[in-house]
Amino acid sequence: MRNPRHLLLVLLVATICGQNFVSGQSMTGSSQQSPNLTYHSAVSEVRLVFFATDEHNHLVQELQKDDFAVVDNESVIRDFRSFSRADLFKLDVVVLLDSSESVLPHFEEEIADVQKLISHSRWGSEDKVSVLSLSGLEARLVCSEDCRSSFTVDRIASLPRGGATPLFDALEVATEILMRRRQPDVWPLIILFSDGDDTISKASLQDISGKILEVGAQIYAVDLSNPRRPSNGTAMLQRITENSGGRCIRTSEGAARVFDDVIDDLHSARAVTYVPSQSGSKFHSVRIFPTHNLGWQFRCRSSYYYRSNTAHQEDSP
Amino acid sequence: MKLAFSLILLFCSLPGLLAAQIGVYQHGTVVRMHMGECIPAGHGFMATFGGPSTPMGPEACPEYTLLSDNVVFVIVGKLSNSLIPLAETIDFRFHRNELAVRMDDAKHEAKFAIKEMMVRSEWDRLQRHIDEKMRAADDHEADVRLP
Repeated sequence: MRNPRHLLLVLLVATICGQNFVSGQSMTGSSQQSPNLTYHSAVSEVRLVFFATDEHNHLVQELQKDDFAVVDNESVIRDFRSFSRADLFKLDVVVLLDSSESVLPHFEEEIADVQKLISHSRWGSEDKVSVLSLSGLEARLVCSEDCRSSFTVDRIASLPRGGATPLFDALEVATEILMRRRQPDVWPLIILFSDGDDTISKASLQDISGKILEVGAQIYAVDLSNPRRPSNGTAMLQRITENSGGRCIRTSEGAARVFDDVIDDLHSARAVTYVPSQSGSKFHSVRIFPTHNLGWQFRCRSSYYYRSNTAHQEDSP
Repeated sequence: MKLAFSLILLFCSLPGLLAAQIGVYQHGTVVRMHMGECIPAGHGFMATFGGPSTPMGPEACPEYTLLSDNVVFVIVGKLSNSLIPLAETIDFRFHRNELAVRMDDAKHEAKFAIKEMMVRSEWDRLQRHIDEKMRAADDHEADVRLP
């Protein structure tokens, strides 16, 4: 070994052997990888639908991606995976029509309002509309998915009316319908015509609040109660609509205003997707704030349940 | 009248403009925000560490974690609507015992009480530790879920 030539030879042999060993290992490694194996990479993201209004409560038309930040479980998120107009989504709408005793004096107007809403020309061709009537002990399906063509006043007239108000049970049925048809590119909505006074449901407000969060539905309520007498029902309607990112509108504001507001909302909504920061909790509270103009207000649902590493990663819009 | 109005306007916007021109502003990023307890008026960093203070009632004030190059501040708004625009970078400066944050129009500052201060390197180290714990918990959960 003292001879440098011997040393060089040993080094050369060692290098060649080493290379063969490494390439052999890598070949063994690749031969062990069966071509039938599929690697899955889960990307967990959240989709939020929201509305932006300016100082004068007008919808902000030219909203940019850097005009807002999401505060998700206290973390400020500015890096979004996508930002688009929500009217690119298909709508899956369940209209809940209260036909209980307490709203009977206004029932004819209510049916006329629902018919106006359904026959509105601004629906997309693939939007689904279902109608449920609630009174007595249960909610009854008037028409499912195809109400834009099949809803008639006669169908409602033939159903029982009066009696108690199973409002929470009806909301539960509506969320279950939406849950069964849940798709990533579909925006679930509930439009509720009621005075908000539940009188008989088996489900509680807490039960339905959880289900609404789970399905990610936005709720619009048309409050049929007497505006001169504030009630618990009105407070409940305001609470569930605000938590879902929707709105509570008084029917006394006029049917035209109600539909314009709802339809304007549907057309002006934006959707943003992002990867939430790591957090020990599955329950995420969420709010949107402006990055420049503090006069702007953002409305979205107040929370969601985050399900990581599951087959259905995306939160619904 | 016009002159008086101009003078008042100049007087009001002077501190902000002056600070901007002198370049005393530091830059930072808000990384966390939540609605927490309000800090009683006239109390700041010292009062927070000096013992319990008088309760403020049910009102919640915005609390921000502001990262600068070397220091991390936890600051609290004086009112429930004392908001900071959540832009990528905001300008701020010390003003007595408070933090003055420059709003987007550059002529207006909002004052925030300083609740906590931490050296940035220490904060980074803590965050890394929290992230590792979260990741470990997630991995454990995924392992349990797998058949």
